[in-house]
Amino acid sequence: MKLAKYIKPYLPFVLLAPLSMVGEVSMDLLQPKLMSKIVDDGVLGSDYGLIIRTGILMLCTVIFGALCGSASAFFAGCASQGFSRDVRNDLFKRVMGLSFQQTDKFTTGSLVTRITADVTAIQQMVDFLIRGFVRNIIMFIGGVIMMLTLARSFGTIIAVALPVEALIVILIMRKANPLYAIVASRLDSVNSVMQENVTGARVVKAYVREKHEQERFEGANMGLTEANLKVQELMALLSPVLMVIMNFSVMAVIYIGGWQVQAKEMKVGEVMAAITYLTQVLHGIMMISMMFQTMARASASAKRINEVLDTEPVIRDGNGGDIGTKKGTVTFRGVTFAYPESSGEPVLTDIDLDVRAGENIAILGATGSGKSSLVNMIPRFYDADKGEVLVDGVNVRELGLEDLRRRVGIVLQKSELFSATVAENIRWGKDDATDEEVIAAAKIAQADEFISRMPDGYDSMIAEKGASLSGGQKQRMSIARAILKKPEILIFDDSTSALDLGTEAKLRAKLREELKGTTVITIAQRIASVKSCDRIVVLDRGRIVGCDNHDALLKNCEVYKDIYDSQIKTQGDEA
Amino acid sequence: MPPMPPNPNNKQQPGGRQAALINAEKPKNARETLGKLLRYIGRSKYLFFGLMAIMLMITLLGLAAPYIQQIAIDCITLDDKKLSVDTERLVKILIILGVVYLMNSVFSYLQGIFSARLSQKTVSTMRRDLFGDLVKLPIKYFDSHRHGDIMSRMTNDVENISNTVSQSIGSLISGVLTVVGSIIIMLTYSPLLTLISLSTVVLTVFVSTKMTKYMRRYFLKQQIILGKLNGHVEEMVTGHRTVVSYSKEQAAVEDFNVMSDELRRTGIRAQICAGVMGPLMNCIGNFGFVMIAAFGGWFSYKGWITVGTIQAFILYSKQFSRPINEIVNQYANIQTAIAGAERIFEVMETAPETDEGTSEITAEDIRGEIKFEDIHFCYDPEKPVLKGLDLDIKQGQKIAIVGATGSGKTTVVNLLTRFYDADSGSITVDGVDIRDMRMDELRKSVGIVLQDTVLFKGSIEENIRYGKEDAPDEDVRRAAAHANADAFIKHLPDGYKTQLAEGGSNLSQGQRQLLAIARAILADPKILILDEATSSVDTRTEMHIQSAMVALMKNRTSLIIAHRLSTIRDADMIVVIDGGKVAEKGRHDELIAKKGCYYDLYRTQFAGNKT
Repeated sequence: MKLAKYIKPYLPFVLLAPLSMVGEVSMDLLQPKLMSKIVDDGVLGSDYGLIIRTGILMLCTVIFGALCGSASAFFAGCASQGFSRDVRNDLFKRVMGLSFQQTDKFTTGSLVTRITADVTAIQQMVDFLIRGFVRNIIMFIGGVIMMLTLARSFGTIIAVALPVEALIVILIMRKANPLYAIVASRLDSVNSVMQENVTGARVVKAYVREKHEQERFEGANMGLTEANLKVQELMALLSPVLMVIMNFSVMAVIYIGGWQVQAKEMKVGEVMAAITYLTQVLHGIMMISMMFQTMARASASAKRINEVLDTEPVIRDGNGGDIGTKKGTVTFRGVTFAYPESSGEPVLTDIDLDVRAGENIAILGATGSGKSSLVNMIPRFYDADKGEVLVDGVNVRELGLEDLRRRVGIVLQKSELFSATVAENIRWGKDDATDEEVIAAAKIAQADEFISRMPDGYDSMIAEKGASLSGGQKQRMSIARAILKKPEILIFDDSTSALDLGTEAKLRAKLREELKGTTVITIAQRIASVKSCDRIVVLDRGRIVGCDNHDALLKNCEVYKDIYDSQIKTQGDEA
Repeated sequence: MPPMPPNPNNKQQPGGRQAALINAEKPKNARETLGKLLRYIGRSKYLFFGLMAIMLMITLLGLAAPYIQQIAIDCITLDDKKLSVDTERLVKILIILGVVYLMNSVFSYLQGIFSARLSQKTVSTMRRDLFGDLVKLPIKYFDSHRHGDIMSRMTNDVENISNTVSQSIGSLISGVLTVVGSIIIMLTYSPLLTLISLSTVVLTVFVSTKMTKYMRRYFLKQQIILGKLNGHVEEMVTGHRTVVSYSKEQAAVEDFNVMSDELRRTGIRAQICAGVMGPLMNCIGNFGFVMIAAFGGWFSYKGWITVGTIQAFILYSKQFSRPINEIVNQYANIQTAIAGAERIFEVMETAPETDEGTSEITAEDIRGEIKFEDIHFCYDPEKPVLKGLDLDIKQGQKIAIVGATGSGKTTVVNLLTRFYDADSGSITVDGVDIRDMRMDELRKSVGIVLQDTVLFKGSIEENIRYGKEDAPDEDVRRAAAHANADAFIKHLPDGYKTQLAEGGSNLSQGQRQLLAIARAILADPKILILDEATSSVDTRTEMHIQSAMVALMKNRTSLIIAHRLSTIRDADMIVVIDGGKVAEKGRHDELIAKKGCYYDLYRTQFAGNKT
């Protein structure tokens, strides 16, 4: 297993844990002997001093055993927790280095589970293996050996009972596993009906569909109950059957033991000991098979972790050689791109575009026309399938990623804020920015006003990804963050959609004034937002169908005219 | 690959005991909740009492088995007086023993079946009732509670109860029976020695509750750090694009490593804590054994008891400590379950929507004349939203409601559909106060298309039919055609039978919107509400939906809330809400000419400063 290498640094702990476990187990195994001594020699022999002495000895061994047990817990803890920390750290690092194609494929939700729940699962498995597995193996082997030393004939009992027991456990587990999968999927349907009703309560009520939803839920509920019952009734079989096997073996020991005693080959005490050991052995095998079950489950987690660890980042750092002067130009040459998951046609086909330094360029098009995909290629969130993207005249693949992303600033469609203060969030753009710089950036982004009105101003905490802020406020904060970065190319990916036109216009004016010489690429929905740009690129179904200024496009570009009509014409005259 | 949880039964925290420790929380009113929970369990009386009887049998068999085994051993014990094994007798006893063992297993199996049925039946009824009450809750409840919280009642809380009923009840009953049985037997032997062995029980309970508390603290701390770490991962993974575009990967990894190491350190401590528990209990158990041996020896020396009694005591005191331990363990589980049950009952006991309508009016009779009279309303007493709103809408009119964000546009919709009730004033439809109408009739007469399209798991067809369950296929297709949805539906692999993913995520925004419109068209309501219905669609697509919208609004009283001019311009009347009242109303041209607040709004919101 690939994860094995992570356990290596903790090998001493891995070895020490079972070793101290041996101490605990042997102290445990000593107990019956000492007990029988108290009873046989102390109580029956009326030796009061012996009772006290043996009692104290017993307590000592118990305390020693407890110490060994604790030490074993300590070593196992060190090993499993250290192991899981290393796996976790590598995993997170790997995830951070993945490209978006790859994270999209995994989906964020599943990545989060992999880093958290799955790592916890394998951590517990390691702990389990080190302690439980070893303990049971010792108990099991020890028990078998002890029994055989008592009488060879008991070996037959083990030889018969053991495979039968193992077989039954395996059979039941094999039947149960698919049932567990059914339970999981039925649980999903119950949850999804519930989820839909919680989020869609208005529609359910508006269409007076409560009864229908109740029926739908009842269907899912019955399905789940049925599946649960099936698996639980199957599992209810396990322990009684195992008990019967164990108890009948005990009876066999007594019977065979009786003959041995008769033949004077054995003492009663030994028969009783044999019963104890037999119970121990059969109990051990049950525990071991249960552990295999746990391991099977943990191995699913391990598989999911390995999948991430095995994913080599597609987007690799360029060699980052010294790249000429920073000019702020972007060039697309015959770029074609399709999302790996969508089997259909490419999102962008054969795009050629030259963005000049310091130019103010806009990209317009219907939803799904490929606007976002186009700009996402500039900071290499995605790589083109065909053709090349150049920044400052150099293919982005050859630039160092950090260098490239320092040159390119992008404000995303969905504002992503982090749990930190407002100032800290803005300072992401430049770690060592002074307070003045932060405020200045906020002012350009038209954010200073509302931030100052917040209870703690720039020191206000942003909780739950900015849930308490309006969409427009979040957008302005992300814009401030990007402005503070002072990139040579600044991209707005539909990131002013929640601002009203007045604020947006002020923002634009301020940008033009303060960030002279910065290349600005804007994706927008509203023509009013982009009318005044130097050039407007019109995208339609992944192709550029127009690229010129507003007036020229209005004359020559059908799609642009269409969009214009849908927005401007109706309101042109009065305003 | 689908993200499959590693184990369906323990989702977050494998290791039942750990989970119980972390989640263990004190219910507020345990006795009352327990009573209600028991009433639920009591609904399956036969199962419950059956289970009790089975547990009694198991306990008796459990007490009898070692006794018979002892006789069997005695049978093969040889001493001076007895020189050979009585094989015949041994076989007889072994047969009896075998029967007892068999019965024990049979009853154990029955116990498994009974507790599975009992727990599943209880939980399934509970889930059904919870859901039944949930759909009747007022919208206010959904608006004021986090959806995740509501969901977790259905999932985690119900799960906890199910586990407790299936596991805890059984082991609790058998535990109590065993303890009581053992105590009675011990008392008949020697009350004094019983007292001594009970003292270790007190010690066990004391130490294990103390330890549990101590452990809980560590596990809680571990849980908090784990929560922090999860939060960080979530934030960084969902915000990955931003992290990457600011080249913050390294910083994120460093922060993560710090938390990860903190988690390791606390994890080790918590684990040691848990690891010590077993040996410690072992210690106390053996201490008890020494006590019995020592005192018993002394008593027998004095001639108060026999040696056999000591042996019996040793046996029973061993039988004793296991269930006591178990009961202590179950205590935390039961507490968690009761706390969960409390949250579930809380939902169930939340007042449902009241429907006191007595009016005979049905959805078919309604013509669609709406009147708001002096409506006052607030979500939060501090911030009144509507302050004396008056509005008169004629049958078949097309009304556009505009206003700044937070001015109360959506509130008007919430009141008309009785998602909320006004604090004062009255709303009438066709002259009848809507509070006098039957709620379902009122709602059947109103169709709404919301900004966030709600689609349900199922086929396209079923989703359109949501508005009218019994509509024939032709009607569904006609409605879709009217909504301009027919074309794209036909292109889907299975046409109208295409299954939607959860929330309709396999459709585009515009397509989802068209489905919602088709749904409203099919429902054919007299009153139509469009609440920002096209805001998530780009303007060009909107133009294409426009004809569908016009078709939809035909012959109906329509209320349109929109922020796009194109949708508003053609309205029969535009109503501007400002300061909780109607500030202006009239047609577009009139209002523009008036240069009042509509004009201002229009300039800032729709046209923008023309730069």
